[in-house]
Amino acid sequence: MLQGVGAVAFLGASAAALKLPFFGTDGFEQDPASCRATDLSASQMKLIVSNWPSYIDADEDPSTLSIFEERTGIAVDYSDDVNDNAEFYAKVRNQLGSCTSIDRDLVMLTDWMAARFISLGWTQPYDKANVPNLHANLIDPLRNRQWDPDLEFHAPWQTGLTGIAYNASKTGEVRSFEELLTRADLRGRVTLLSEMRDTMAFLLKITGANPDDFTDDQWGVAIERLREVVASGQIRAFTGNDYTQDLAAGNILACEAWSGDVIQLQADNPDIKFVVPEEGLSLWSDNMLIPNQATHQANAEKWIDYYYEPAVAAQLAAWVNYICPVKGAQEEMEKIDPDLASNPLIFPDDDMLANTFDFMPLDAKQSNEYEGDWANVTGG
Amino acid sequence: MSQVADVPTEQVGDSSYDGLRLRGVSKTYPNGFTAVDTLDLDVPRGSFIALLGPSGCGKTTTLRMVAGLETPTSGEIRLAGDDITYAKPYKRPVNTVFQNYALFPHLDIFENVAFGLKRRKVKDVEAQVREMLALVELDSQARKKPTQLSGGQQQRVALARALINRPEVLLLDEPLGALDLKLRRSMQIEIKRIQTEVGLTFVHVTHDQEEAMTMADTVAVMNAGVIEQLGAPEELYENPRSTFVANFLGQSNLIEGTVVSRGSDVTSVDMHGIGVSVPTGRTHTDGEKGWIGIRPEKVLIGEEGEALDAPGNTIPGGVVTDVSFNGVSTQYLVRMPWGQELAVFAQNTGRTRIFRRGDRVELSWRPEYAFLLDFSQDASAGAQKGD
Amino acid sequence: MAEMTRRRGRTGYLLLLPAFLTLLVFFVLPFYSLIATSLYDPSGSDVEGFEMTYHFSNYWDAISDYSGPLFRSLVYGGVATLLCLVLGYVLAYAMAFKAGRWKYLLLVLVIAPFFTSFLVRTLSWKLILADDGFVVNTLQFLQILGDDGRLLATPVAVIAGLVYNFLPFMILPLFASLDRIDPRLIEASSDLYAHPFVGFFKVTWPLSLPGVVSGTLLTFIPAVGDYINAQLLGSTGQRMIGSVIQSQFVEANNYPAAAALSTMLMIVILAMVLVYVRRAGTEELL
Ligand SMILES: Nc1ncnc2c1ncn2[C@@H]1O[C@H](COP(=O)(O)OP(=O)(O)OP(=O)(O)O)[C@@H](O)[C@H]1O
Ligand SMILES: [Mg+2]
Repeated sequence: MLQGVGAVAFLGASAAALKLPFFGTDGFEQDPASCRATDLSASQMKLIVSNWPSYIDADEDPSTLSIFEERTGIAVDYSDDVNDNAEFYAKVRNQLGSCTSIDRDLVMLTDWMAARFISLGWTQPYDKANVPNLHANLIDPLRNRQWDPDLEFHAPWQTGLTGIAYNASKTGEVRSFEELLTRADLRGRVTLLSEMRDTMAFLLKITGANPDDFTDDQWGVAIERLREVVASGQIRAFTGNDYTQDLAAGNILACEAWSGDVIQLQADNPDIKFVVPEEGLSLWSDNMLIPNQATHQANAEKWIDYYYEPAVAAQLAAWVNYICPVKGAQEEMEKIDPDLASNPLIFPDDDMLANTFDFMPLDAKQSNEYEGDWANVTGG
Repeated sequence: MSQVADVPTEQVGDSSYDGLRLRGVSKTYPNGFTAVDTLDLDVPRGSFIALLGPSGCGKTTTLRMVAGLETPTSGEIRLAGDDITYAKPYKRPVNTVFQNYALFPHLDIFENVAFGLKRRKVKDVEAQVREMLALVELDSQARKKPTQLSGGQQQRVALARALINRPEVLLLDEPLGALDLKLRRSMQIEIKRIQTEVGLTFVHVTHDQEEAMTMADTVAVMNAGVIEQLGAPEELYENPRSTFVANFLGQSNLIEGTVVSRGSDVTSVDMHGIGVSVPTGRTHTDGEKGWIGIRPEKVLIGEEGEALDAPGNTIPGGVVTDVSFNGVSTQYLVRMPWGQELAVFAQNTGRTRIFRRGDRVELSWRPEYAFLLDFSQDASAGAQKGD
Repeated sequence: MAEMTRRRGRTGYLLLLPAFLTLLVFFVLPFYSLIATSLYDPSGSDVEGFEMTYHFSNYWDAISDYSGPLFRSLVYGGVATLLCLVLGYVLAYAMAFKAGRWKYLLLVLVIAPFFTSFLVRTLSWKLILADDGFVVNTLQFLQILGDDGRLLATPVAVIAGLVYNFLPFMILPLFASLDRIDPRLIEASSDLYAHPFVGFFKVTWPLSLPGVVSGTLLTFIPAVGDYINAQLLGSTGQRMIGSVIQSQFVEANNYPAAAALSTMLMIVILAMVLVYVRRAGTEELL
């Protein structure tokens, strides 16, 4: 979200790629069944992967990546060029919307964006026979998502929790989102996440709605509540990853936070605590998708199946520190690092997972509208 | 070494002098270079003095110290009795016509000229500026920008801009340097006319000796940070006190000689076996040896053995080595028996014939034209090459 | 003969071709498409596509919805530009007239921090202005800030960030025009009875006007469109128009609104620049 300096130029350039005359544009929906390339996996031992930064143990020796290459003979062209879901969407929408290749075989996108890709018909279904480990080992809380209940199109890469972090040396325990939004001693020293779904899920919860299934009216109540909170001066800012800096520097006392970030902060500052809010836990994943026109689908499926082996998943989790979506990895982790195996932010226990919720998939219309409301409230 | 011998040092700090007075002024730049070295100078009120000297001798530095744009390292500057050594430039009744004019490019001619008056909140600016522009004949250009004027016009604007303030002293730093010869001559006359008209003190810096001599009442010849000699143009020319002045102002023949005797009227000198005499008032050395100086146009040239109309000794044995005829006169180079070549300018009066290369000749001059200089000085100091 | 002339005529046009193509690709096409997008029916989406309905009220909607951030951007940009001018002038003046042979070295030193990324530089201001940081503590000690006062997440921090980030755009043209001023002109003014202070306003300042004009334009235009500073150093109350455009485009996928806002921002800035250049009277200068 921080990229895209010079939005004006950016906008002009992307819009120029649209049709020229003073006519409208067609919709971007595609049919994956027809918009697909011949799979060259058998002849080309190659795989092109786009992921978020610091999301793989590639610098270790051996790494899960190097073992994969050795075992399968596939040369992986790995880049960490996904920095932001919306931005990535803006970058590829003209290509995928017109059934053009984006020269990638696998991209990792967060749930809501994965849902959008799938609903636009931009991703290829997996061959179920090629990913048995996925179907066998995916942990239960991540199954049956509304937007792809049968795991036809997606497989979680890593999973995280959205909760509350606070600095225990400067303030008392913060137990709930409600407290975060109302406690007088936190006034002006709280940040929320600028990802609309992360934050609004909690506001919907607080205002008595179900984030998995809510109406426009309920949305209206929740956004109104947020507007009041912002107007009261409780919230200092809506941030991306940069809240970690503020928390460490003491500029803020508590904030909405992602579990993986907090584990990394705790390494330097044990006073930073992560709490599961009383309202519940928002569980999200970044998911592996095979975009239309990918030419190495079978190789991509080998990769997916490989990372769903518990031992591989444990090795990756030991480095990445996010929640491991693979059953059996906790036992494998005991062998690598028993401390990590008992860390609930990597292997959450059933109590924690009992009360998780998700954000309902939005269609394009709703998404435009809600994002617009959100932008207006968070922008003041 | 101060050459202003006639100014007694007791007068330092005397506040009755109404001109510009510099005493022991030195300027050493931060890089350690001494551009002006214990300089003494008196400029009487209302006079026109020219500071003449080769490039880099410290003329501009001297002017800048008078204007207040540079602070002297030591010494004292007084104007009409007031010590202005450390006065701020904008508080001195001194104005400068800069070497490159330094006209304000964003202001028109009128505003340039009015600048000083407006800063002093003088009344009646409009009329005064009109009058001044009329004096320098620029009335019709008042609303033009400096870049729209010719070099000579710009020069006059610079003059007007400084003059209008009626300063006690007007400093002109080679104001004519950038002009072509013809324009320069007419501007020289114009500046001289204006100075006579307004009666202000002018200090005019130049390295053009002709300009200095035609314009100024007094010429100060500067060399290496000091004033070598100061006086009326004729006096400097006729009776130079140093080899530098002898060579820098015009041209001189300098011949080695040994002092034989010093009388009350004349000094007798042996010049390569020939006895010559120099008036005491033109003898500027106490040493045993000296340079006998004589201007080329003062040397007479004649046939070998022919009697010359001169009371001094005849110097025989010359051979003409170079002849250049330029109509009014003829310039010769004559090799003397002791090997030196002397320059001789002969008027083409028609009384004598024009000699040719290789002719044997005799030279002579009237003793009252000769001068005797310190032998320790470099005989070629101040000589201009190719002049 | 006729053939020759025709040939030459055609060569002339061919030589113009690269410039023409560059202009077409980098200016005309994006601009054309930006305007087209701003007139789409806002009820469209990526799924259904956008219909061209010449929906001019996109502009009206954008103004009424976002006049706050638009006005705020102009104010922040204006204040930052003024501060840049004061600071930049002092620095450029010192470099041009007082630094002697060090001036180009100083120039490089002033510019050097700007070889690092914009983001990193801006984030470093978070440390400088932190609530427990030196600056805030000092201001609290001096009673300028209250005990729980802060700088981060206030307009002060946003403007400080803007000033810092856009200062070089001000310093460079100022230095260029100050460095060109002949110091003898300043001496001449002093010789003509102008106190240095008066000399500055009568000579130095008017001669540096071309630098002042280009410096303020080069600072003001990007500062108004910037949103990184507001996002990182500001709070919800400091959002600038660039950030609205960005979120309308990237997050809300409301391309018509984003395009209308961009076009409007361009028009507003252009109008202000024209008025400014007129008023500054640059044609009076050399
Ligand atoms: N700012 C300075 N720092 C160091 N040396 C200087 C400075 N200004 C002048 N000089 C030196 O001082 C000497 C005298 O300089 P000045 O400008 O007074 O000469 P000038 O007589 O005016 O010469 P010109 O006829 O070429 O104008 C020169 O050798 C010059 O190099
Ligand atoms: Mg000079």
